[in-house]
Amino acid sequence: MPTLWLVLIILALAAVGYVVGRQRALASSGGNAKLLHSLPSYYGANVSFAVIIPAIGLLILWLLVQPAWIQNRVADMIPEGAIPEGATLGLVMSDVERVATGLNLAVEQGAMSEEDASSIRTEFTDVRQRLGEVGVALGSNVDAPVLRAAQRYREMSATGNTWMTVAVLAAALFGFVSSLAVTKAGFRARNTVERVILIMLMVAASIAVLTTLGIVLSMLFETRNFFQQYPWTSFFFGLEWAPDFRGNSNLSIIPLLWGTLYISFIALLVAVPIGLFAAIYMSEYAGPRVRSVAKPLIEILAGIPTIVYGLFALITVGPLLRDYFAMPMGLGESASSVATAGVVMGIMLIPFVSSLSDDIINAVPQAMRDGSFGLGATHSETIRQVVVPAALPGIVGAILLAASRAIGETMIVVLGAGAAAAQFDRGLGELVNPFEAMTTVTVKIVSQLTGDTDFAAPETLVAFALGLTLFVITLGLNVLALYIVRKYREQYE
Amino acid sequence: MNDMRLTERAVDSKDVKIAARKVQVFYGETHAIKDVDVDIDDKTVTAFIGPSGCGKSTFLRCINRMNDTIDVARVEGDIHLDGEDIYNPKVDPVQLRAKVGMVFQKPNPFPKSIYDNVAYGPKIHGLAKNKAELDEIVERALRRGAIWDEVKDRLQEPGTGLSGGQQQRLCIARAVATEPEVLLMDEPCSALDPIATAQVEELIDELKQNYSVVIVTHSMQQAARVSQKTAFFHLGYLVEYGETGQIFTNPKDSRTESYITGRIG
Ligand SMILES: Nc1ncnc2c1ncn2[C@@H]1O[C@H](COP(=O)(O)OP(=O)(O)OP(=O)(O)O)[C@@H](O)[C@H]1O
Ligand SMILES: [Mg+2]
Repeated sequence: MPTLWLVLIILALAAVGYVVGRQRALASSGGNAKLLHSLPSYYGANVSFAVIIPAIGLLILWLLVQPAWIQNRVADMIPEGAIPEGATLGLVMSDVERVATGLNLAVEQGAMSEEDASSIRTEFTDVRQRLGEVGVALGSNVDAPVLRAAQRYREMSATGNTWMTVAVLAAALFGFVSSLAVTKAGFRARNTVERVILIMLMVAASIAVLTTLGIVLSMLFETRNFFQQYPWTSFFFGLEWAPDFRGNSNLSIIPLLWGTLYISFIALLVAVPIGLFAAIYMSEYAGPRVRSVAKPLIEILAGIPTIVYGLFALITVGPLLRDYFAMPMGLGESASSVATAGVVMGIMLIPFVSSLSDDIINAVPQAMRDGSFGLGATHSETIRQVVVPAALPGIVGAILLAASRAIGETMIVVLGAGAAAAQFDRGLGELVNPFEAMTTVTVKIVSQLTGDTDFAAPETLVAFALGLTLFVITLGLNVLALYIVRKYREQYE
Repeated sequence: MNDMRLTERAVDSKDVKIAARKVQVFYGETHAIKDVDVDIDDKTVTAFIGPSGCGKSTFLRCINRMNDTIDVARVEGDIHLDGEDIYNPKVDPVQLRAKVGMVFQKPNPFPKSIYDNVAYGPKIHGLAKNKAELDEIVERALRRGAIWDEVKDRLQEPGTGLSGGQQQRLCIARAVATEPEVLLMDEPCSALDPIATAQVEELIDELKQNYSVVIVTHSMQQAARVSQKTAFFHLGYLVEYGETGQIFTNPKDSRTESYITGRIG
């Protein structure tokens, strides 16, 4: 039975359970809902949960475990000799799976009878051709062991599915019957439902946490591989970024980190004052009409794809800065520069700072402002001394969010500041010159992972080390922000 | 004869601090204050009484133009402070509010330290030349607000961490720190225990020496204890205004009498 049907049956059973549970609870109190411990709907929900949760849980578990288990069994059928030169057991097994899917398709489309599918032999049939006819293309001819393994695979899947259907339905029925059995007036259905909801919320929260953990772990694994091939001291303390796929690369994070921080700094220099002032104007001075027009307009900035900002940097801002600032001041003649990327990124970040700060400033109670006005303070004194301090934790949060966006941004940097890493051997002057081309960590992560990559070479693996370092830095930034906010709160709340 | 009239007039013009004529307040469509005429004397305590929602706070906020901060509110009529129309476009509401201080119905300390809460007004208006002077002003204000003993060891702690009644007294201290000429107090004792209430009433009595105090209260006893004049509001009208003794012992209007004796409220 297809899984979809199974799910629908469970849901239907749950719906029936809801109605029956409700009625049974009412009946047990002689139709008087006041005698029940909980509202009748809680008894219904309790039965529904008892049907759905074990059954769906079992279903998910089964679907996860079955393929792995079958693969394991089938893999034994492939003799060492059947694995071609240069291939691995894994590759052969994926062939087996493809053939099995192909056979399934063929049977479904009527190109092959069920019996044929399980009895054909490579000696008598050109399996590759037959499967090609139903749209499953195979890279090579099918060996006898592979075909037999595929047939076995199908059989086992079929039996597995049958057992799964039986088991899942049994679980659903058991839940149905057992929860109905306890449905009596005295049963605390409300508390049970409450607990189930709590557990569901906890599961959702832990999925989020576990995903983060999984990401970090996978990066950690590759990073370890990298550091086995490349000394960590050179990575963290070297001053040169010069990857060379023939070997002997210099892979230091410092020049990239410098570019990242410099560009982000300029971006924040643009975004924080403009965003904050815009927010203050919007929430404190603008009338409802101006606000209703201007606020969405500012927020549109947040919806523009970063590649469009990148083009803006490349075509407009870069040449502008070069022609009117860099060249007259004799600071450089490249349109790609830290300043270009920084300014454009800053523009992109304005709505992040402004719309968050705006919400936060609006959340400061009117009573605070009244208190200040009542003492004879002007509007701007009130904002500076009461509203902004009261909103500061939120504003710091908004700025940090903008900062982590800036650190992670890639497109604008590629098009605005170029892809050449900062060069420490050319002296401090060039490092701090905002009209010099530079690049960031994220850009280099992309460029190390695009094109022909060899996942054993340090030049590729360095991307993971870069990513992990960046992750740690943003994490540190967030922790710092939390600390600042907490310290500030202690003082003021 | 002539002399007598002169002295009488001199007394009158010196005594009236705030004169309101035909004041109307609208909140959008709601007509919250209707045709209120009232003369509030200098160096007196005036009590506003009346059932909840009758417009006491609204009228109080007209006197220091706090209604300006409410978008939907519209004020009509004349209010004169020391003979000067406060709704004249030339008048700066910011300066007006420095002269007419206010204690709000709900305590609203700033999310700053207790010290900074009280120092806020004096700092803005440059009342202290140096830190020592500011310290002195803060201490005096906190003493007058009857809260000094409770907070003198924790001046740097946040004002929002105080109890409701302490916050209310902090707000009173904050308001008197700027030395206003008129102090508007909207139910300043609603969250206070009898001891703190007595202390605040003592403060009001003391302020009366130099200032004019307007106090909104729901406690008849308090109105009778602290005020010389009483105004009774009902459904947006100023029903009766006069000597406190007369209002409580011999009200002219039947609505005043019903309210005081507890029949409407
Ligand atoms: N900001 C506002 N917007 C709209 N209507 C308001 C506003 N403030 C007060 N009102 C209305 O104006 C009327 C008078 O309110 P006000 O606050 O002056 O009453 P009050 O006499 O102070 O009552 P209480 O003793 O409960 O404090 C009420 O009907 C109230 O609903
Ligand atoms: Mg009120």
